[in-house]
Amino acid sequence: MTKYELVCGLETHIELATKTKIFCSCTTEFGGEPNTHCCPICIGLPGTLPKLNKRVVEYAILAGLATNCEISRISKMDRKNYVYPDLPKAYQISQYDMPLCKNGWVELSNGRKIRLTRIHIEEDAGKLVHQRSNTYVDYNRGGVPLIEIVSEPDIRSIDEAKEYLEKLQLIMRFIGVSDCKMQEGSMRCDVNISVRPVGSEEFGTRTEIKNMNSFAHMAKAMDYEINRQIDLLESGEQVVQETRRYNEEEESTESMRGKEDAHDYRYFREPDLVTIQVSEEMISELKKKLPELPQQKAKRYMEELGLPEADALLLTQYRRISEYFEAAIKGVKNPKTVANCIIGQMFSRLEGEGAKENFSVKVTPENLNALVRLLDEGKIRMNLLKATLEKMLDTGKKPSELISESDMGGLDPDALRAACEQAISANQNAVSDYLGGKEKALKAILGTVMKATRGKADAIEAEKLLVQLIKK
Amino acid sequence: MESRIKKLSEQMASGQISCLELTKAYLEAMEKDNQKINAYVRFTPETALETAKRVDRKIASGEPLLPLEGIPMTLKDNISTKGIETTCCSKILTGYVPIYDATVWELLQKQNAVLLGKTNMDEFAMGSSCETSCFGGALNPHDTSRVAGGSSGGVASAVGGNLAVYGLGSDTGGSIRQPASFCGLTGLKPTYGAVSRYGLIAYASSFDQIGPITQNVEDAAIVYDTISVYDEKDSTSRGKVNAPVCESLKNSIKGRKIGIAKEYFNGIRDDVNSAIQNAIKVFESLGAQIVYFDMPSLKYSLPVYYILACAEASSNLGRYDGIRYGYKTAHYADRNEMVCKTRNEGFGKEVKRRILLGTYVLSAGYYDAYYKKAQNLRGELIKAFEDAFQKCDVMLAPTVPMTAFPLNFTAKDAVETYQTDICTVPVNIAGLPAVSIPCGFDTAGLPIGMQLIGNRFCEATILNIAHQYEIATDGQMFRTAEMGVKL
Amino acid sequence: MVTHEDILNIANLAKLSVSPEELDELTKDMNEIIGFANTINDACPQATDFDNINGLSNAFREDIVVPSYDREEILKNAESQDEGYFLVKKRM
Repeated sequence: MTKYELVCGLETHIELATKTKIFCSCTTEFGGEPNTHCCPICIGLPGTLPKLNKRVVEYAILAGLATNCEISRISKMDRKNYVYPDLPKAYQISQYDMPLCKNGWVELSNGRKIRLTRIHIEEDAGKLVHQRSNTYVDYNRGGVPLIEIVSEPDIRSIDEAKEYLEKLQLIMRFIGVSDCKMQEGSMRCDVNISVRPVGSEEFGTRTEIKNMNSFAHMAKAMDYEINRQIDLLESGEQVVQETRRYNEEEESTESMRGKEDAHDYRYFREPDLVTIQVSEEMISELKKKLPELPQQKAKRYMEELGLPEADALLLTQYRRISEYFEAAIKGVKNPKTVANCIIGQMFSRLEGEGAKENFSVKVTPENLNALVRLLDEGKIRMNLLKATLEKMLDTGKKPSELISESDMGGLDPDALRAACEQAISANQNAVSDYLGGKEKALKAILGTVMKATRGKADAIEAEKLLVQLIKK
Repeated sequence: MESRIKKLSEQMASGQISCLELTKAYLEAMEKDNQKINAYVRFTPETALETAKRVDRKIASGEPLLPLEGIPMTLKDNISTKGIETTCCSKILTGYVPIYDATVWELLQKQNAVLLGKTNMDEFAMGSSCETSCFGGALNPHDTSRVAGGSSGGVASAVGGNLAVYGLGSDTGGSIRQPASFCGLTGLKPTYGAVSRYGLIAYASSFDQIGPITQNVEDAAIVYDTISVYDEKDSTSRGKVNAPVCESLKNSIKGRKIGIAKEYFNGIRDDVNSAIQNAIKVFESLGAQIVYFDMPSLKYSLPVYYILACAEASSNLGRYDGIRYGYKTAHYADRNEMVCKTRNEGFGKEVKRRILLGTYVLSAGYYDAYYKKAQNLRGELIKAFEDAFQKCDVMLAPTVPMTAFPLNFTAKDAVETYQTDICTVPVNIAGLPAVSIPCGFDTAGLPIGMQLIGNRFCEATILNIAHQYEIATDGQMFRTAEMGVKL
Repeated sequence: MVTHEDILNIANLAKLSVSPEELDELTKDMNEIIGFANTINDACPQATDFDNINGLSNAFREDIVVPSYDREEILKNAESQDEGYFLVKKRM
């Protein structure tokens, strides 16, 4: 049987996190009562003219810089003409042959680079609600700025497609140009899919699955479509080049062909807008604003801070977390301790990705830093650190408010010896068990020591001393 | 020739006439005479009277008047006026009441301009006779068996018929200059970008420009100085880049070089030609120098204009689908049919023809042969004008190869009608300013017009030369029509 | 030569319904107009880099929110509306 491989490229639409729409000053806020974020321009009243939001250009260039694109020095806007009720002017202002950014790439964890053909800016359409067989139109989203990131057909597996999309999401969030929330539609993609026998250099006929709005749907749709295409080829039939949609209930894809969509967009230059010229100064200013990207950060965390890869990836998933981490490790001996505090105790209190993205915890990075320094200085032990961090997370108090002087400074050797001797005499049964070969019995005695010293004893040292004293 | 605007302003300031009296005189004349010429499609007496009273209060308080304050005027029906129906004389915009003002109307309101009503035009400014209007065409005040011209026929008819002191029209391929020429008036098409297009309902965005139609050059200069202001709402706006044009009207034109490209004179009627030859003599007598040259690329102007303007129009007019505003068909089976029927019933024949042409030249397989090639030719023509203005200060050409058409002349043959725009479209292709002024009469007494074409943002130069011609000919080229307000 | 089929195709793109009665006349008109447009065929323009008509660049707006219009105003001219939405009834 022939083995097939997937050939896939993604067109990803990302809503930019500007305050206002791309061509008018209405808010881009998500939701709102229908048609309350509208003005004559974004509902396309006759005679209105668009005026380009400067920040849209800046954000698109940032996105291009963060994905290794060339930035076009000269660019323009074009009209893409098609009549549909969600498009109030009957054309979408987009970019056709002179996109702002081109020839970039995103690197996957397996070392493969997915090439980006282009990134261009355009306006989003309004929303249609079909109900009681009528169509209801809301233009709140109409004119919200988008970038469309088009990849080359370099993706070879569903996992690569998912990772590519995750990487884009991560990068765009990091550089602050979009929140990339698939559930709110601020990130969505069209998947171009074809299959070919392994080893073949030619591309097969492709289909395009429109408007994927979750990772899970994309994976299922791709899986279905790959198998559908292989089945067609295996049975000697041909794949038809067409646009398809994902059917959530059936978990399948279906053709979108209809008489209405004879597609001929008749692109031409938007005469109401002028040339976009991007200067060297503008690019270098934007480069300065570009933060260290997640991939670079993770690499640095591993190489310079000695973090394991898993930790480095978790800490660089959201910009706020990495900023928090970097503030909290200033001057500490072992950054891994800080990483553990964040990934362990803090993450366990954050439900869901949204909470992680916001990362609002009661402990300031300065207070976490102070706590870990106490450990570094030998003033407290790990178990007291953990207990104190829990209290800090509950109350937001400083470590100094929660740990008294007497708790600090550890235990002097005489006090530890006394505590151990007392514990041995109080646990004679355990002592004989231990001597009888039950190593676990020692834990019970250790427990007594720790309780008596209110956690101040160093558990490892105490255990050593106990063994010494029992064996004596 | 004295400025009518200035004279009326002085009369109001000195108390010879109140603004209310003046406004009422016009409103009464409109009631009586508009039916003869169909210039107005809508009267706005409430806003006119209200403004007039405000102006009179200002005069009473002793405040000086702004140049256009209290002057009764009109707007072409494609200029958006908040709260006042604006239809482009198309069935598809029936009942559409804008919720915002065009920038030019905002500027005029700041001057307390007295808006008498909205004037007739070819549907969506597509036409040369005003006869594609859904309200029927505006007629020529000098001969009501003839058209006022188009597309701003209503403005020209109203100003020529003394039913407004001045009006604002729009010029995409000659729509200000041609009706001005037919009605014996001054029509100024400013440089592309000099006047904001915000609120002008688009026909062809890279050609459209708003400008005044007046009874004399100085009035056009006064209006131009008021409306040519940079507008942040229009990305293609630059506003007036030089000093006010009124300041240089009185300058001598001695030594000015007036260029003549012989291509402009191919196929023009003899009487039009001889009127212009006479004008050349006047210019020479004023010390101007005439230079002759060839501009071969002019020959492609007409197809280039129709290809590009219709391409833009096909896109600009896509939005009329019955959902958000305007006419909507009563019966349909589904949404697609609703849109198609609404458009088919709402648009007139000429508009449909131009939408189809525009769609065709942009569609896959034809884009390169038509749209792209026309765009390249546009670039060449721009360059040809740049070269021409190395040789001269202004260019002189006929405005139209003939005088006002009889009624229904344009209905016969679309292409033959397009040919009559031959002299006006080059200026729009190149984004240049041009002013049409009367320069004679044919045997039937119909006005003949000529245009002075300037380099970009050289409105001052063309208006100066036009004004000096007016003085030299002692205002003899302007004849008032026997109707409307006599003051 | 523009055919009936061409006209129906571009009419569909332009969302104009063309009745059988109109088709002949429109096809005839369009052939004349396209014939007229074809007069540029013999031109050999230099591929001039035609930019926008007034050569301007970078007309930008700052990203500052201005309050939107009242919904009542936005919907004012709509033939049909319901619960704050523009409404297209399925059939009439």
